[in-house]
Amino acid sequence: MSFFDLKGLLRPLTGLSQFGKNPHTKRMDVLGQDTADRYRGFHYNDLNACIGCGNCSTICMNEAIDMVELAAEFNISQDKGNSGLRPRVDYGRCCWCALCVDVCPTGSLNLTKEYDYVSPDANSFLWTPGVDNPYGKDQLSFTSSVETSLMNFERIPMRELEGTERVKSFAEVVLGYNEEEARAEASRCISCSLCTEVCPDHMHIPEYINAIAKGNDDDALRIIYDNNPLPEMCGKVCTRRCEDVCAIAVRGEAVAIRWLKRYATERAQTSDLIKEIVNPEIQEANGYKVGIIGAGPSGLTAAYYLALRGFDVTVFEAKRFGGGMTMYGIPKYRLPMDSLDKQIGYLQKIGVKINFNTRVGTDITFDEIYKKHDAVFIGIGFEKPWKLGVEGEDLENSIPAVEYLRMINNEEIFDVGKKVVVIGGGNVAIDGARVAARHNAEVTILYRRRVEDMPADWEEIEGAEDEGVHIHPQAIPVRIIADESGKKVKAIEYIEAEMVAEEGARPRPVPIEGSNKIIEVDTIIGAIGQEADYSFISEEYVNKIELNRGRIVTNDQQQTSDAKIFAGGDAVNRTADAISAIADGFRAVKGIEAMLLKTKK
Amino acid sequence: MGTTYSKEEILAQQLQTAFEHLITEVVRKDTVFAFATKEQVSSILLYAKEKLGYISFVHLSCVDWLESGEFELVYIIWSPETKINLFVKTRLDRENPSMENTDMIWRQINTYQREIREMFGVEFPGFVGEKEFILEDWEDAPPMRRDFDTLEYVNDTFFEREGREDKQDVRERIAKRSGEEIPDFAKKYSRE
Amino acid sequence: MREKSTTLYLGPQHPGITGNMMVKLQLEGDTIVKATTHVGYLHRAFEKLIERRNWMQSTTILCRFCVPEPDPPEAAFALAVEQIEGREVPERGKYLRSLVLELARIQSFMLWYAGQNGSAGLYTVGQWSVGDRNYVLDLFEELTGGRIYHMYIWPGGVRRDIPEGFEDKVLHTMDYIEKRIDDYDRMMFDSAIFQKRAQGVGIISKEKAMEWGVVGAPLRGCGIGHDVRKDNPYDAYDKLDFQMGIFDGGDVWARAKVRQFEIRQSISMVRQIIQNLPKGDYLNKMPNPMKWTIPAGSAYGKVESVRGEFGFHVVSDGSDKPRRVHARGPAYAHGISLLEDILVGENLADVSFIMNSLGVCPPEIER
Repeated sequence: MSFFDLKGLLRPLTGLSQFGKNPHTKRMDVLGQDTADRYRGFHYNDLNACIGCGNCSTICMNEAIDMVELAAEFNISQDKGNSGLRPRVDYGRCCWCALCVDVCPTGSLNLTKEYDYVSPDANSFLWTPGVDNPYGKDQLSFTSSVETSLMNFERIPMRELEGTERVKSFAEVVLGYNEEEARAEASRCISCSLCTEVCPDHMHIPEYINAIAKGNDDDALRIIYDNNPLPEMCGKVCTRRCEDVCAIAVRGEAVAIRWLKRYATERAQTSDLIKEIVNPEIQEANGYKVGIIGAGPSGLTAAYYLALRGFDVTVFEAKRFGGGMTMYGIPKYRLPMDSLDKQIGYLQKIGVKINFNTRVGTDITFDEIYKKHDAVFIGIGFEKPWKLGVEGEDLENSIPAVEYLRMINNEEIFDVGKKVVVIGGGNVAIDGARVAARHNAEVTILYRRRVEDMPADWEEIEGAEDEGVHIHPQAIPVRIIADESGKKVKAIEYIEAEMVAEEGARPRPVPIEGSNKIIEVDTIIGAIGQEADYSFISEEYVNKIELNRGRIVTNDQQQTSDAKIFAGGDAVNRTADAISAIADGFRAVKGIEAMLLKTKK
Repeated sequence: MGTTYSKEEILAQQLQTAFEHLITEVVRKDTVFAFATKEQVSSILLYAKEKLGYISFVHLSCVDWLESGEFELVYIIWSPETKINLFVKTRLDRENPSMENTDMIWRQINTYQREIREMFGVEFPGFVGEKEFILEDWEDAPPMRRDFDTLEYVNDTFFEREGREDKQDVRERIAKRSGEEIPDFAKKYSRE
Repeated sequence: MREKSTTLYLGPQHPGITGNMMVKLQLEGDTIVKATTHVGYLHRAFEKLIERRNWMQSTTILCRFCVPEPDPPEAAFALAVEQIEGREVPERGKYLRSLVLELARIQSFMLWYAGQNGSAGLYTVGQWSVGDRNYVLDLFEELTGGRIYHMYIWPGGVRRDIPEGFEDKVLHTMDYIEKRIDDYDRMMFDSAIFQKRAQGVGIISKEKAMEWGVVGAPLRGCGIGHDVRKDNPYDAYDKLDFQMGIFDGGDVWARAKVRQFEIRQSISMVRQIIQNLPKGDYLNKMPNPMKWTIPAGSAYGKVESVRGEFGFHVVSDGSDKPRRVHARGPAYAHGISLLEDILVGENLADVSFIMNSLGVCPPEIER
């Protein structure tokens, strides 16, 4: 290079060609309207769609998001399944990574195009999205869809027997998760705990699911046994209201809480193993005796936790096996026999005495139990079926579903013949239908309302349909026709109904004139409801126990109007499911403990 | 006919032939681990550099295995011929950790050793480098050790801005509203 | 006569220093006799913070390791995690990653134009290139929602698919930038001033380059052809046609020539990616981020940033949080002992000129 480099001096002068051109920079006053469609600006939260699960607060790596209670004027839902809290963002910490958006299970939290906010007051940087920027809903930019969200909205499918395979036997239909499936399913849970509130027993759901996700099944079982001594039964047949409010269920399929509980319990194959894993500390005997009537879910629960607390517990059960309605009312393809045996065996191992085949009122008087014990717990189920209220219902081969299920589960024989009609739309009706289908019958369910009105679980309804059960909705039975002998059922006459909308109530079925039809049947199974039978309680006590529409009235610790008598289960609560019964039993334990230990101190 | 070996397996064999009792592991494509004793490291590095063509030094990292009371030093070297990342790993006792100075093999190691001395308190006797590197007037424990609690340090050193005291925990609120009692042994599985 | 020795503290606040660091210089006249680097003004303890954060949360910190180039750390971490976990990336995800990484290189080259010229006193190109860089940032905003920090590359793929009409915008921007860098060249490489300033300054010998762990453009400027994209191809680089820029000399001039060559390669690669973008998924979704655990193991994930090889040594103990994430950035090798060494004998006025050519980035040294 020469000292005087002419080219090197002149070439840069080409830059002068830019002279007079418009600058690249933009004027300040157009800022704020010019961001891309995905711009990550301030948050906006749809306050009504948000359920307050707090997932945004958990993922925030800067701890910029707090969950706070909003003023009453915002009408934040405080229902079960909604924590009533809403996120508030500290923009002094937020880094706009938008992970909170990508993990929001409901999709209520999004980012907007707004990004310029200037204030000399650093305390004004706390924003509650949706409250401080209601206009944000028109400026949404960075949002999450089901596709882009980091949540896993699809449930790990449960392996089941094929429908055609199922009707051949009483083998369990649901096969259960294996370890890999359980871990994957458990890891979908976001641990928000909204589910625990709707669970009648308030089981520690996020904790045991997390234990499974972390590969510690033993801890999961311990957590489950903290307030539920019959988890295997619940894991198979619980009505699982928890899954209805699952945060993931807002946009996807709920976490399979029931199947995960089932998985955790199945890790312990025998009652010895349960004892080894759960390993309860039994407190020293305190000298108090408690008598429990009925070895159903509520009675067994009370028995278990009372025994752990050092009480001397005796259970009186009229039938051969424990488990109550879960034993006799649930078909074995849903809840195999040995499953309950195992759990009851475990209860006996920790010192609960169970007297089977001991019907109170016949084999032992209520009076005796009352006098021999310091407290009595009544945990009887609804065994007495409601009448159909139609002509011919007392004929042979017309049988209530609970009676039919009890006979089958007790290994007695009842021939339903070739054609069966089941009347009703609840779980008991479906159970009756599916059991009959397993005896090679052609089954029709008559239900007065629509299929979507059926109180039975949708999984049960689907299962029945898979197995060839025909569901005839909007059909009301009129009369049952006897055969020539006048003793046996020959046919049933029903009338079709149309649904009439009614203000403030669900639509009502109204019979359509002249639409009567008759179908020939061998057996009719009625399943329209049950009630309790209190005839075992002798007169002097019956008057002391307050009843309301067939149910025993108790306080919030399951204590009846007679301070020494506690009650729980179907005879007390309206939901009439196993988990409510377990919750009753658990509460009664606290009540009995409070009454006996505190008052005598 | 002999079996054909992958380039990673060949490297592992070469190292094992040269160094008795050396444990090697072919982890995945382009990655080979060699688990060496503290004394072996410099000779492995030299051997790999001079004889096997691992002329590029990539990285020196320290990992604190608090539970087993050890520091792990990881020397990563790379060869332009095989394109393999060779990890030479060694474990040091967490009490008075010290490691041979290797910055004469690759000058670049000097900087790494300064960092590891400052952040983990691992000594490299005989090595020349300024004591202070990233930290200034630091008298606390070496901060990258796992038993140094950042959160505790932050809480002691800084203060929280006012106005966020009303935050609530969703889990606690739900439990309180429904009367659920979470047993202590279950709490470690609750949401953080 | 011996000149009196002066001690001069350059930085930590100095427009010529590429961030917050300080170089303590001992001068005799204008000539440096000893240089000592002091870093630590930007230490944010990211590696320590990551120990308390789960795998998903870590991805949003990592991009802050280096301000001029936030994407290579994201990609290196993703590669390391994928290696440990064995997670596959869908083809489209690979291409989109390469697209982002190349766009990131282009925007970083533009920033380098500004720094290199600014430190030589040639401000015009700097003003232009930083203005033009905004058009690349616009693309990022469109694609990822952020201009500087993208949080876009995740283990398993990328965060979002490209928006509608994005390809055309990219091609249009590339055409524009290609035209503009010719303007820069006339102002910069053809300029007698730049040539005089750059040639024979800040020389790194081949031997020294290997010994001191030099990577990237400075290494290729010594005539040694090493590029992670060629040597250990990741993402879609094994399917793209490109060349390394290899120049001899080891001085600032050679490094500048490497970059001049490679920005054009990057533009060509972006075009190839847009042309061959496969259809399909862009992300192999990870489990719920709150319960995402990575099997125990360790890996070194590395990518080629503008300044050279950027890598993460990631160690997992099988839990939901990383055991250790240790960054190895190009500036770590270039900016401490190498800088101290090659500054000796140089002129005071060339300090920031040399630092810019090495790509010294203090936030990445200290993390």
